Amino acid sequence: MKNKRHNLLATIIVLLFGFVLFYVGTDQFSAFTAETARVNKLVEEKPQFPKVTFEDSQKRKYSIDEFEGKYVFITFIYSMCTTVCIDLEMNMDQVYDLIPKEYMGKDIQFLSISFDPERDDPERLDDYKNMFTNGDGELWRMARIENQEELEFLLDEFGVIVIPDEYGNFAHNSAFYLVDRQGTLVEVLDYKKIDEAANTVISILDEEAGV
Amino acid sequence: MKQFIYGFVLYIFLVLPPVANVLESIMIIHMHMQMPLLVVTGFLMAKFLQQKFPRFFDKWNGNGVPGILLFSIIWLYWMMPRTMDEALTVQHVELFKFISLPFLAGIPLRDSWKKISLLLKKIFFISFTVIFLGMGMLYIMAPIQLCNNYLLIEQIALGWGFLTTAFCMIIYLFYFRFTDKPAQEV
Repeated sequence: MKNKRHNLLATIIVLLFGFVLFYVGTDQFSAFTAETARVNKLVEEKPQFPKVTFEDSQKRKYSIDEFEGKYVFITFIYSMCTTVCIDLEMNMDQVYDLIPKEYMGKDIQFLSISFDPERDDPERLDDYKNMFTNGDGELWRMARIENQEELEFLLDEFGVIVIPDEYGNFAHNSAFYLVDRQGTLVEVLDYKKIDEAANTVISILDEEAGV
Repeated sequence: MKQFIYGFVLYIFLVLPPVANVLESIMIIHMHMQMPLLVVTGFLMAKFLQQKFPRFFDKWNGNGVPGILLFSIIWLYWMMPRTMDEALTVQHVELFKFISLPFLAGIPLRDSWKKISLLLKKIFFISFTVIFLGMGMLYIMAPIQLCNNYLLIEQIALGWGFLTTAFCMIIYLFYFRFTDKPAQEV
């Protein structure tokens, strides 16, 4: 009889342990993949966009300060990518279309950052931007970060994991990033949900414009 | 005692950083070789501990239910895509892996398996077959990369690994169903 009680007690302890383990391990059952956990954490921490030097498709060099006072809608890509980047950029193109024109360039800037600076020189980026209807190199810019250390620092801050594979491609996680007027990361959006992403951006802009 | 030494040596070998790094560099080996081997080390070390502390096991795991539950929880925990990722990037998660799999999964499994009823064995075995099928489908069909540290192609390989394991388990179930075996041989 006594043993039975101990068994029951042990069972309850094990179940409680299991609950706590899963509760903590999945951030209160909200994140079962590291990617979800990463996004949750980023939105919570709101890191500042680091001071890195871009070189865009028109060979201009500047830092994030270039866009001070504007929201910046960012993706991380490399132009040789044949899979997810194309989707990512196509979807970015559609988000661009959904954003009211009066905000464009005044309140919001589009920016695609290449993490493959060796191959993505300004000429290559200039070609790449033409693949997308809104890729004008001005309101939607494509830029690389030549300095490897700066690039890695940025990727690390924004939780972008890039793994080179043996065929010269990269596996990487993708999302839309929204940086506010002061250069703080405020949103990480699912790049597959175009309308949702656009609505989030528009509602932020509308609210600030007092619409 | 001999078993304990084998288990302990294997454990030390698996914990060595270069060995761990190699095993973890390939997704399917990480989940379907390193992790089961860690359970095996616990399994091998269990007997010695059972003999050393018979009262503890008797008292707290008399009917085997707490042990088998603990094993299941630990094993399920390590099947999550997130824990696999974090074992690579977060040090204390890695540490927890090396502690939990042998000591909280391997040892209780050995102690429990002989104690639980045939019905519970069947439930346990069939549940894990179903879970493996589910995980296999998940890893194969997920359109996105579930683990940030592994390529999509590795994820698909892992999915097939799960399915293969599940099929073997199904074959075993049929074998068990259609051959006349005394219960204790399960």
